Amino acid sequence: MKVLRSICLALVLAGPVSAQGYRVRLDTRVHSVDFRGVQIDSVLRSATVPDSIGGLYTPDGYAVHCEPGDTYCTFFREGPRHESAPLVATADASAWGFGVRGLSVHATARLGYDLSSDDAWPGMEPAFQLINGYVEYAVERLTARAGRQILASRLGTTGFDGGAVTWRLPKQRIDLTGYAGWGLARGAAIPVTSPALNPLDDFQPLERQIVAGLEGAWTARLGEARFVYQREVDPHFDKFVSERIAISGAARPMPGLTVAGGADYDIAAGWWGSADLSVMYATRNVSGTIEARRYRPHFDLWTIWGAFSPVPYKSLRASVTGRPWRPVQLHARGEVYRFDPAEASTPLVEYETDGWRGELGATVDAGHGWTVDGGVTREFGPGAASTGSGGSVTYSPTRAARVTAYASWLDRPLEFRFSESVLKMAGFDGGIDVNERVRLTAGAMRYSEDRNRPDAAAFDWTQWRITAGVVVLFTRGADLENLPPAIRRMPGGRNAR
Amino acid sequence: MIALLVVIGLLQAPSSFDHPKHAKLFPSCTSCHRGAASDGARASMWPDAASCASCHDGTIEKQVTWSPRAGPRRGNLRFDHVEHAREAKTKAPACTACHTDAGAPRMAVRPPVVARCLDCHEIRTAHLAAPDTACATCHLPLARAVSLTRADVAGFPAPPSHADPRWPSREGHGAVARSTLSTNCATCHAQEFCYQCHAGGSPPKSIAVLASDIRSTALATHRAPASHGANFADRHGALASASTQSCASCHVRSDCLDCHRTAAASGPRYHGDGFLARHPAAAYARETSCGDCHNERSFCASCHQQSGIVAARGLRTGYHDARPFFVSGHGGAARQSLESCVSCHTQDDCLKCHSSIGGRRFNPHGPGFDAERLRKKNGQMCVVCHGSSIPTSP
Repeated sequence: MKVLRSICLALVLAGPVSAQGYRVRLDTRVHSVDFRGVQIDSVLRSATVPDSIGGLYTPDGYAVHCEPGDTYCTFFREGPRHESAPLVATADASAWGFGVRGLSVHATARLGYDLSSDDAWPGMEPAFQLINGYVEYAVERLTARAGRQILASRLGTTGFDGGAVTWRLPKQRIDLTGYAGWGLARGAAIPVTSPALNPLDDFQPLERQIVAGLEGAWTARLGEARFVYQREVDPHFDKFVSERIAISGAARPMPGLTVAGGADYDIAAGWWGSADLSVMYATRNVSGTIEARRYRPHFDLWTIWGAFSPVPYKSLRASVTGRPWRPVQLHARGEVYRFDPAEASTPLVEYETDGWRGELGATVDAGHGWTVDGGVTREFGPGAASTGSGGSVTYSPTRAARVTAYASWLDRPLEFRFSESVLKMAGFDGGIDVNERVRLTAGAMRYSEDRNRPDAAAFDWTQWRITAGVVVLFTRGADLENLPPAIRRMPGGRNAR
Repeated sequence: MIALLVVIGLLQAPSSFDHPKHAKLFPSCTSCHRGAASDGARASMWPDAASCASCHDGTIEKQVTWSPRAGPRRGNLRFDHVEHAREAKTKAPACTACHTDAGAPRMAVRPPVVARCLDCHEIRTAHLAAPDTACATCHLPLARAVSLTRADVAGFPAPPSHADPRWPSREGHGAVARSTLSTNCATCHAQEFCYQCHAGGSPPKSIAVLASDIRSTALATHRAPASHGANFADRHGALASASTQSCASCHVRSDCLDCHRTAAASGPRYHGDGFLARHPAAAYARETSCGDCHNERSFCASCHQQSGIVAARGLRTGYHDARPFFVSGHGGAARQSLESCVSCHTQDDCLKCHSSIGGRRFNPHGPGFDAERLRKKNGQMCVVCHGSSIPTSP
């Protein structure tokens, strides 16, 4: 409420000040979708029925799990069918021209509401989320921002309510950025103390963390280098939530060739996090990438997960895209990976420690607005695997209209649970620009899922999923309609700033 | 950049006046086009309609309807007949030197023949392949060619150099623009054209050399760099994280956030169609870093909760039924895919066994665990399992 009151007050006080230009983009989408999971149930051990090899079942055919000595056995039957109609409206707004050159205001907010009576769609709380909302002052050597903002760096995305300043030294080709504020939860636009982040009633911090960071970048024609240092502190206990540093760089020794790499180090945990090194070469008709990488998850120190010593995996992956003849484009990619030794003795449970992924596909530009696309994917590794194929046909008679029909098939066995599902999906989606400022989208999909289990939990689940959306654009003060997306999103183009 | 334009030829409608038919009547071009020989401010380039009517009166010849063009000529030629004649090095070229094809009869006139301009100015290439220094010889900068419409600009032909796949790169147009931006590039381009792509953090300062002219955006610049082949969205991660500055030459933050943003009901999508169905395999071994965009608690756990796949009633329910003794031997799998575990399990689930106060005292610490360092950074985490008596080594 305090924030809401502040915004209202700011709006009232800002009344006499009018912007020369603004841009508001409203994107509203609604889905009609069912979902159905499982729910745990139990049965008296004495009521179970053995099969021919000694496995125990409920009288109605569900395989049960019985712990030695327990009176009851547990099993999972199909859960209730939830019907949801989530509506999500996102507004992106920018305004500029307040009489101070370089001053602008930006905000992105989202409203979510489940139109169905079930109110079961996850992730809809809180209903209103301010993703970012800040005032920016930008001149040639300086950019300063104050408010809610999300920064992206090699350490991931960092959201906070606070300030950020970027100082540019053009001669030295150096940019320096410093930022600080009250942090948001990782991967969310709400504070870590929000009840919406605690659906399982887990531990939760008592106060928002303080975030501070410093980024530096040097760029030149043949390459660039950058570093970022970031720390998060829990003010309640005056302890670190995280402290990390990352470095990255890229070299472009010759046209078309890029060598890039980087790594992050967890200062608090004392270990290296994720790292990668890639070589990419691209010509007009062929491009390829070879990349070696290492991935290790990062956990905040207010959780105990980091003390469980998550182990990294190392992978080698490659991709190539080629155009053997003009209308046809082929692409392929693959990756193999292996986890470091977990050093956990598991005499009773075998598990996979390495895996691979692969994909082959082709896109054909058949002319006259027709595009045909198809491919196969396959992956196998710890926890799960999948094999699938799919294809689509797109017809786009003009730049303003598009319709796509698609179909795909997927088989996805799991490593630790008998729940191999076979999915079949077919549908269409499309969009049309009613005019330069309004775009409508719609789609429908037939979703069919067969859960292949040797018991009664092998239920079939088939449904229609419907999607519709509308995007409306309001602008004033800029002839932006003919600009591509990169510049259209800027407030009034470069000149107006 | 070179851009010599044939706009004048394209824009002027073919003359309805049959010059060859009148060849004997008019021995001199300037008898009708007086402005070509005298100061154009005082003499008109066109004959007046009355002079036509002296013959085409309906008696001698049939009547014709014609009136001189009003307003300035639409084009971007830097050309004034009188001045051109005055500045000619040797002697002023005849009208036919520009307005007829080589060897054509005197009155077989047409709009300026570009090849003859190039020939006279000793440019030994095709029009659009002329050297960088040549454009301004004949053409005005776009911002000064005020008569051109947006549609005219959209029709500008591109020089062959622009078709080079490296042209969008620094080594392509960047290298050329540094020296010729204000002269030759300006023939077709203005600031707004450049800012279509240089929309990011620090655009080249040299762009400011160009004038501002929104008509320049009529020229499309949507061609992606050579590095952006098919499915670039799938493989841009490593490059983008290492060279964000390069991305920022063309993209702004909103471009990234369109996909890299959590959406409860999928808005603009980062993952392909059907990813939700495929996500277990991608998530167990983290094909990409899910946590950058998704909060494991609000995004993963809340959905798993609605689907009934959370540890709501203890750990011995047999959910992982493909491994009957999974609870006893889950350690290795957990250390490999801990992010997947926490999308269904709470810390309290683990503390039932992995706690030295109240649990079964199973030590969860594994490779790389630095107890002393973690204790210094956040001893509160240690207290959860160890209470007030935190050991000095794991």
